Amino acid sequence: MMESKSFPGNVDSLDSLREYVGERAQQAGLAKKPTYALKLAVDEIATNIILYGYQEAGLVADFTVLSEITEQALMVILEDIAAPFDPLARELPDSGDLTKSLEDREIGGLGIYLTINGVDEFSYEYLNGKNRNKFVMKIAST
Amino acid sequence: MAFQIESVVGEQVARLTLHGELDSLSARVFQTEIEKIANQPIEALVLDMEDLSFMSSAGLRVLIYSKQKIGPKLAIYIVKPQELIVDTLTKTGLQHSVTIVDQYPV
Repeated sequence: MMESKSFPGNVDSLDSLREYVGERAQQAGLAKKPTYALKLAVDEIATNIILYGYQEAGLVADFTVLSEITEQALMVILEDIAAPFDPLARELPDSGDLTKSLEDREIGGLGIYLTINGVDEFSYEYLNGKNRNKFVMKIAST
Repeated sequence: MAFQIESVVGEQVARLTLHGELDSLSARVFQTEIEKIANQPIEALVLDMEDLSFMSSAGLRVLIYSKQKIGPKLAIYIVKPQELIVDTLTKTGLQHSVTIVDQYPV
């Protein structure tokens, strides 16, 4: 069964968002490390939605977390009504960027890099006027 | 858990102790602390992270900012970071630019 929960679109929501994702991960039986990776991924994408999709555009709105636990996986979808933005369309830091010293680094791109590298599946679609960022964590069979 | 930071700034060493979760909201507080010491002749920035349980890329950006603002000669020591935070530093290649230690002075 799909569960739905909305949060105000500001950075004060991030703490309760991570707590909620942590609760869902616990219900799904995810271990500590994948739980952290999922919380990090959802936090990173939600931060982009809040700062760029909403605040920079002068939009005051909620975003919604849809989640579903099956035998195989925990699926989380972040849904927002900001302008279409595909996080996968932007260029990710490559191995050259990631070995640069701090003083030569460009600030940006790290969040989406951590998202894609942290979850088992990440996908994006724009559907019915909404951005849908989807995260899947597989549940290890025992 | 709410983010907290304590700063002790000496002549050459600034020691910041971070507690709780470092996200894009709390990173602003962290960055403000860095801005306060940015014009001082600091040689080492010691970040005690034993009680820090979460760090997003917003926290990484403050580390990058520290080096760029204070200068390339600044040594950054991260004391006792939790395993999952070390993973983030490793994945992003930032562990090459900081020194992870069990205690400071080393």
